[in-house]
Amino acid sequence: MNHSRRIFQTLKYIFQPTQKQPIIMKAIIGLGVILGLLVILPSVQYVLAAGDEPGEYLDRRVEIWGLFYRLMIVAFTIGTVVSGTIVWLVLRFRESNPKAKPTEYEDSGTW
Amino acid sequence: MRTRERGKMSGHSTWPEWVYIGVVVALLCYVGAEAWNIERIIEHVPADAEIIKVTGQQWLWTFEHEDGTKEIGELHVEKGKAYKFEITSTDVIHSFNIHDYVVLLDAVPGRVNTVWFSPTDAGEFPIQCREYCGLIHYNMRATLIVEDKGA
Repeated sequence: MNHSRRIFQTLKYIFQPTQKQPIIMKAIIGLGVILGLLVILPSVQYVLAAGDEPGEYLDRRVEIWGLFYRLMIVAFTIGTVVSGTIVWLVLRFRESNPKAKPTEYEDSGTW
Repeated sequence: MRTRERGKMSGHSTWPEWVYIGVVVALLCYVGAEAWNIERIIEHVPADAEIIKVTGQQWLWTFEHEDGTKEIGELHVEKGKAYKFEITSTDVIHSFNIHDYVVLLDAVPGRVNTVWFSPTDAGEFPIQCREYCGLIHYNMRATLIVEDKGA
């Protein structure tokens, strides 16, 4: 099947009125929202951050290092939760855990 | 299919997963908002800031004050006053860094980048190029000399 025919078939599949259509339309809308945010957020930032009004005296060291420490608290919190979850999963679901149950296949030999 | 039914099919409750997703999304929103806000705050230059033109070239820094005074390898400023750096380069990309005052901005040929700061402590502070710019990059340094008012 050549490329143009494949694209045509895909488009036909997406837009034909079937029961699967709502899911595909949702995916398209979701993708549209994500792409929209990718454009909208930088635009809002550009408009608000690039103001010409004069700023006040401040110590940028205090502001930037303060931000750094706050973000590090968030990063280490997430890191601790994620790595803790992984460690717990590895220990809890290891084969030798007394609480481990065999899977259906391991138990009966059938799926 | 409703969430409760999906949970039954997967054999476990899904609410901890939704709590986890909610917390992570909330933290990411907080991180983005904080970073954006601080960036916005420090970008605004005070109205009375003195402009200093900074030029990087292999492998030295030159400075030009508003009154036309030029300095090479040294920059004299006054404690408590605001300064806006207009940074550019004549050859390759450099990066202007005053580590002790958290000033860091690229010097790009054909482009003027700006950053401002207000020194709070008198003394001497190193200025260093932070973008590899050739053989003597490691020694592309200058000194920021912050003086008390009237010194």
